[in-house]
Amino acid sequence: MPKITIDNREIECRKGISVLQAALEAGWNIPHYCAHPGLRVVASCRLCLMEMRMPDPKTQEPTWSPKLVPACQTPVRDGQVVRFDSDRVRQNVKRCMEFFLLDHPLDCPVCDQAGECHLQDYSYRFGEAESRMVDEKLEKPKKDIGPRTLLYSDRCVLCTRCIRFTQEISGTHELCLVNRGTRNEIDVFPGKPLDNPLQGNVVDICPVGSLIDKDFLFKRRVWELESASSICPGCARGCFIRVDHCDGTVYRLKPRYNPKVNDWWICDEGRFGWKYVHDDKRITAPVLHRGHEKTTPKWEELPEILRYRFEEQMRKNGPDKVVAMLSPFMACEEAWLLIKFIREVAPQAALAMGPVSEDGENQHFPVGASGDAVRFTILKEKCPNRRGIELLIGAAGGKTLSFEEFVEKSAAGDFSAGWVVGGYPAEWVDKAAGKIAPKFELLVVQDIFPNALTDAATIILPSCAWVEREGSFVNSTGLIQPFERAISPPEGVKRDGQYLYEIAGLDGLYRAGRVRELMNATIEEFAAVFEAPPMPAHAH
Amino acid sequence: MIEDHDILNVDAPELSAAERFYLPQILDGMGTTIRHMGHSLFKRPMTVQYPEERRELRVENYRGVHRLNRDEQGRVACVACFMCATACPANCIHIEGAEAPWDDREKYPAKFDIDELRCIYCGMCEEACPVDAIELTPRYDLVGRTRAEMILDKEELLVIYDQTKGEKARKNPPITGYPRMAGAAALDPESETEGEQA
Repeated sequence: MPKITIDNREIECRKGISVLQAALEAGWNIPHYCAHPGLRVVASCRLCLMEMRMPDPKTQEPTWSPKLVPACQTPVRDGQVVRFDSDRVRQNVKRCMEFFLLDHPLDCPVCDQAGECHLQDYSYRFGEAESRMVDEKLEKPKKDIGPRTLLYSDRCVLCTRCIRFTQEISGTHELCLVNRGTRNEIDVFPGKPLDNPLQGNVVDICPVGSLIDKDFLFKRRVWELESASSICPGCARGCFIRVDHCDGTVYRLKPRYNPKVNDWWICDEGRFGWKYVHDDKRITAPVLHRGHEKTTPKWEELPEILRYRFEEQMRKNGPDKVVAMLSPFMACEEAWLLIKFIREVAPQAALAMGPVSEDGENQHFPVGASGDAVRFTILKEKCPNRRGIELLIGAAGGKTLSFEEFVEKSAAGDFSAGWVVGGYPAEWVDKAAGKIAPKFELLVVQDIFPNALTDAATIILPSCAWVEREGSFVNSTGLIQPFERAISPPEGVKRDGQYLYEIAGLDGLYRAGRVRELMNATIEEFAAVFEAPPMPAHAH
Repeated sequence: MIEDHDILNVDAPELSAAERFYLPQILDGMGTTIRHMGHSLFKRPMTVQYPEERRELRVENYRGVHRLNRDEQGRVACVACFMCATACPANCIHIEGAEAPWDDREKYPAKFDIDELRCIYCGMCEEACPVDAIELTPRYDLVGRTRAEMILDKEELLVIYDQTKGEKARKNPPITGYPRMAGAAALDPESETEGEQA
């Protein structure tokens, strides 16, 4: 581990990183635009320039370098001495900021980035209150560069992060720099809009308000949003995301740094895949069919009703006629609670795996990359927790079924009582599965949206979207990753975890961490969950 | 985020012997009461015979009902930046922003509601506004028969502007030097000094 001295303080840092990265990790707030740990170094913004101790060419005495050097481009070396806390460095940042703001339209009141804009932050720290610019400002145009993104070139600082992203991560090369000098601006090639499955990331890495998401445009000011740490349920990859929400509504999803899965990126499918959460068609109350009569039972009565109904079936049709189908959209904790309940009332009950939705092929980025060159992957398996459910079904032992076997056996009338969990964002009940309902005397369906099975169910339990629940998903590489709840479920709906907790015979409030402690007693994998190291506080 | 160095602990000053005795303060307070009594007995009574008589207000800074100003072309001047809603300590301003239907503007308020019952008339919204679109007027006789009537929407607030612009002119518009809105004039040093005089 090399030791370097920054501003008279010696720090130990990782090998092979830049001085900028080392300083940020040690807590320094060094201004920077173009440097991003996931992208090539260009050292074009000149904000992170520092002074470095180097030997005088004539006398070999160590002196401060006559010119400032970019911290992002200087690798750390043992015994290196640098400083940011000097008048020359501060003067440089000040001049750079003045230059960046020469043509800036000062439209913070209507800019979506305001509040999380590094032009605002650095201008507040280093900028002047007034501009010395006497000429008329150059008005660069606002461009519609793709179906989901707008480019305000007048707010741009030309850090080229977006260009490097399309070159190095997505490999689609849509963006480029056009014109020269003061008319230099970002643009797309004619007839080739910014439209790739990862394009939303250019909005995230833009340090200013130049690239703006059309989906979030003018929806909310960013300081009104609250964030919750979550996991993307879009595919089995399990990317770390942040759910930005306000007043019980989700507004946007942003990636969270996770070096083992998604680095700093997420795909557009995940980024915009949350819209179903606020769909009007969602099931919002439990329903109980008594003969032809439909009633809404009280949540408190449900555990007793369910236990009674299942025990009644056991007495009537024998102990091996009970089945539970678990969905790969359930959190591990919820699945464990349901298995606990089913195996308590019917120790010989069969456990089935729900359908695993797949779409197309695995997509690797940069486009066409393979092996070590792959920087990001979108999996074809479009559900977040198949491995977790398989792990739990395996640990529970006993009779287990695949989805096809479950449908086949149910259609053959092998089961009289069943609990089916859906929770899929899209229609999942196919023709064969839709026909099994009449074979059951007691069918409990837990789902988000009405479908052929909920129509025929004896008891319907509303399910919640993942942003309303808490728990953990096991991703494609076997990492157990926890997610927090962001918003409250629709009025009248209890969280899946909470009612399953009560149905499983446990008292109190469902907390994923506590359930994991209980699970840990029998399944040792759940002793610890994976938490990614945080990004340095001042890095972006 | 409040950090440790932003926090300043202030202790109450030590009371002197006279202050701890309390009587001097009470007598001081009585003095004020008697002065006011003498004022209304021998000079002019404090009471105003409302509504026949009305108090004389300092129009420039009286904080009455809000209005939403119009720009030179008669459009709502607000750019829906949510600064007033953010500054509002009573959370009485509800805005919905949308893309402006005009070429020279980015954003405008599709909805702008102020709950005049919740409002504490502190004037923070007026102070926060970067385009001087929201202002408090000298109007104080606001009545309504229902609570819903006291929630003023964008149209009502614009009407109040039309009714009160004679009483109190709109503060000098754009202070931000906002090229798209104000054109090059806002950057002209001369127009800036004019703004200061007004």
